[in-house]
Amino acid sequence: MSKDISRTITRIAEILINELKLEDVTPETFDPDLDLVDEVGIDSMDMATVALFLRDEYKIRIDEDDYPKLTTVRIIARYIDEKLNSNE
Amino acid sequence: MSAQVEYSFSDIIGDPVIRERWEKVRRYFFLRESTYDMSNRCNIRCEGCYYFIGDKQFADENNDATAWRELLVSEKKRGITFVVLAGAEPSLVPQLCAVCYDVIPLGAIATNGLKPIPREIDYRIHISVWGNDQTSQAIRKAPDMLVRQMANYKDDPRAVFVYTFTPFNIDEAREVTRLLAENGQQITFNMFSAPVGYTGQLCHSPASLQKTRAMMHELLTAYPQTVLFSTYNIVAHTSEKGLHDLFSCTYPRMNPSTDIGLGRSFRQYRTDLQWNRDAACCVPDTNCDDCRHYAAGSAVVTARMYRHAIDPVTFSAWLDYVDTYLAVWVRGYDKGPNLCADFINPPLNT
Repeated sequence: MSKDISRTITRIAEILINELKLEDVTPETFDPDLDLVDEVGIDSMDMATVALFLRDEYKIRIDEDDYPKLTTVRIIARYIDEKLNSNE
Repeated sequence: MSAQVEYSFSDIIGDPVIRERWEKVRRYFFLRESTYDMSNRCNIRCEGCYYFIGDKQFADENNDATAWRELLVSEKKRGITFVVLAGAEPSLVPQLCAVCYDVIPLGAIATNGLKPIPREIDYRIHISVWGNDQTSQAIRKAPDMLVRQMANYKDDPRAVFVYTFTPFNIDEAREVTRLLAENGQQITFNMFSAPVGYTGQLCHSPASLQKTRAMMHELLTAYPQTVLFSTYNIVAHTSEKGLHDLFSCTYPRMNPSTDIGLGRSFRQYRTDLQWNRDAACCVPDTNCDDCRHYAAGSAVVTARMYRHAIDPVTFSAWLDYVDTYLAVWVRGYDKGPNLCADFINPPLNT
């Protein structure tokens, strides 16, 4: 895992924890492979909220149609990484 | 030529008024709805009623309170936090409504209002109005409907009257709203949305949509305490494009994804307690191309938060819509003053 992806994962976890008021977990201990819907319990409005803060943070657009495939923090981090490396 | 300003979400909610409203509505993001047909009978028969179209009307009626309790317990277990009790007429089975309330205490009941629903069932009560009493007599074959509805729900904080606009009752909304205002009751607006295959006189035309838009705006301006609506509600529900074209409907009928949101959690149960994903939406058997239904918009527009967070005005319009939706559907939720008086075009998903 590259350092950049690792940093992105931690930052996404931090946004999730802060915005969704998740308890008993820190950005460092958040398992990036947890299924966000099945295991963390987030729903589409939570995802939209997180997507807006990620838009601010990384200056990328997260398509509403992409929410269903953003199932874990690691997948979101890769998605962001691809967006940043594309011509968007 | 001026450059278009790009707002971050933090900029938008940096405005204290917007921030306050955002914090108010986001507390309700936990709501996850499903809908339930309660009876296959109704005490009236209205032209264009979506219930008596398609297969669901032929489902057996399960009146076993134990079976209903088991269903609602399993619904709660899978994350449903809000129930909508609808077709054909829930007031005919109050004992089943009471079971639902006992298990999931947040919800709403759609009723014609002719038979009062017991006060201990503390859901929001949506009372359907299709015009003045002369028009109701013609379309719904029931006399003195509004008079009886208003009497049945006098001083009842659960009640909100839902006025369905057709091309033929637009002017009558003035009389109905005035009467409700004089009685201290509240109203919100719905649009007739054709059931599949319906080609009758109640379908809207571009001209009737325009006329409805003007009437809604007149009444919202004249009766801000009585009318639960916003300018953006008007835009969303009276555009020539239907809700699906404007916002991409998120209900399972039009949304193949089962990963997150309504596509994952929403079910529409028939009276035999069965459900079918292919038919699942809040107004099954409505023609999706013509759908401007208030219940559909409440979910579909609300779900599109991201695309509305492009500037403070557009986001304020969306907040007005969500504030209205919560006031109409959730008992005890008080609507705030609308933040956006302008007619904002729905943003594209770009």
